[in-house]
Amino acid sequence: MFLALRDLRRMWRRFALVGLVVGLVAMLSTVLTGLADGLVRDGTSGLRALPVTHLAFAPHSEAVFSRSTIDERSLAKWTRVPGVEASPIGVSFVNAASTDGGPSIDLALLGVSPGGFLADRSDARPPAAGLPGLVLASELRDEGVKVGERYRIAGSDLTLPVLGFTFAGSYGHVPIAFTSLATWRSISYGNDARGRFSAIALRVPADVDVAAVDRAAGTETKTKTEAYDGSPGFSAETATMTLIRAFLLVISALIVGAFFTVLTVQRTRQIGLLKALGASSGYVLRDGIGQIAIVVLAATVIGAAAGAAVIGLLDGGPVPVELSIGGVLTSAALLVLTGIAGSLVAFRRITKVEPAIALGVEA
Amino acid sequence: MSTSDPAGDGLGLRGIHVAVPDGPGTRTLLDAVDLDVAPGEVLVITGSSGSGKSTLLAVAGLLRRPDRGEVLVAGTPTAELSERRRTALRRERIAIVYQSANLLPALTAREQLELVGHISGERRSQARGRAAQLLEELGLAGRADQLPAKMSGGERQRVGIARALMARPTVLLADEPTASLDGALSAEVAGLLAGEARGRGLAAVIVSHDDAPLAHAERHLHLAGGALKAITTVAG
Repeated sequence: MFLALRDLRRMWRRFALVGLVVGLVAMLSTVLTGLADGLVRDGTSGLRALPVTHLAFAPHSEAVFSRSTIDERSLAKWTRVPGVEASPIGVSFVNAASTDGGPSIDLALLGVSPGGFLADRSDARPPAAGLPGLVLASELRDEGVKVGERYRIAGSDLTLPVLGFTFAGSYGHVPIAFTSLATWRSISYGNDARGRFSAIALRVPADVDVAAVDRAAGTETKTKTEAYDGSPGFSAETATMTLIRAFLLVISALIVGAFFTVLTVQRTRQIGLLKALGASSGYVLRDGIGQIAIVVLAATVIGAAAGAAVIGLLDGGPVPVELSIGGVLTSAALLVLTGIAGSLVAFRRITKVEPAIALGVEA
Repeated sequence: MSTSDPAGDGLGLRGIHVAVPDGPGTRTLLDAVDLDVAPGEVLVITGSSGSGKSTLLAVAGLLRRPDRGEVLVAGTPTAELSERRRTALRRERIAIVYQSANLLPALTAREQLELVGHISGERRSQARGRAAQLLEELGLAGRADQLPAKMSGGERQRVGIARALMARPTVLLADEPTASLDGALSAEVAGLLAGEARGRGLAAVIVSHDDAPLAHAERHLHLAGGALKAITTVAG
């Protein structure tokens, strides 16, 4: 890289445009990573905050709570497995209208059992204990909801008071509200609950044969992470973001490839000279690709840092973003790798340059 | 067209034939050319533009293969060598001085020389020392850190000569080394090139369409119609 480094230092203007474009792509890619991570967080933070390792759903429900109905018999099968903690959970989306002039709110309503380990959470304990009421995600306090206000749950005859706020997160981008399982059942099923609920929240030790218990209990168990897929819009959002980021990577690779090809054509005589001086094609390739790798790396680092700064500015605002170091580094690494891969399109062109070109002679 | 030292450390061409595409057919640039250049000998080849001088130099410098014939570098036949081995032989034995020097714009005078050491895998400190010494010998010590854009034509050509010598070649080839220089400077550069070649015992071939190098050559050949037609002993 003897020549490459000096060329970069003294002829930097030649690389400024491609560096700027790669830097902007890196910034955009980083911001999109932050948005994607933010959307994932916003869609699943409530689920992630639950102290569970697995969730058992009804078969073929694909981790979607609204498609899953479980009863006490399945719960009993899980409860009997040594080492496993199992607790029923009801999940549904409701609209609640204030009867005290407060705002109308959408809620992801989680009904938890007073006897289950989910009620060990301090934020879930008051409603689970049987008090008819709601403990709301703390974000709702910022929207003007107050403790003591009463909310009529749409589609039911129930009016429930706000008992408190906690960090409950959200599910499917809707703030979570905890209530007792009994209250949840009366909202969801009226007087015909027959012991039904949405899923079984589980703490499963590593040595338990989950599939075997599933067969016995008639359930379909997902890890907590797998259960994110059931969050409304989760798969579509992540697929869209992944596709956009993939397009950015391809665009970046094409830009770098096109730039390096043009640069190689411009440098044909210089490459011929290096070969005439006795440099192997490998030497010339290392020099050229090493040079473009430095440009792509530097531009990506600067662009990713700028993108991280943008995420930092957006954080806390209405747009859900999350600055994940792992996500930013992965995105940047992919950009560098695809950029270098793009530069390989000039590989053959470099190896085909004949040293005789240094004398202006066609080989 | 053979003279002295056919098997020694010099340069030998045997039955070199090169034809290039020309419209629907081909045009013969070199036709059964034989040539030997002994160590310490300076040979000047003249010829009109397009006569094949540069092609002859490219063949002699292992930059291109002839259609037929053999090139001997320091007694080593090269026709059957792999491209990798030819590159190595070029790196170890042959150096070329180009028209307009052909320097790399991003490198200073000193770095133009150090690059040659870097390509051949020489230790950085050693290459740096040799580069400084060569620049000193060629009167360029004060220009060592200048980029080509800041040098005069004569300085650039002297750096080109220093870069060629940096390779410690046994064969020195020069392609129109004085073409871009005016009268006095042209004679100075030609004298420097020939003097260095002779002093270091290099087999030197200078192709030129001007007369400046003739005064410093042992032999003068003229290339026309694909053959080296005239031989004149100029000096020696």
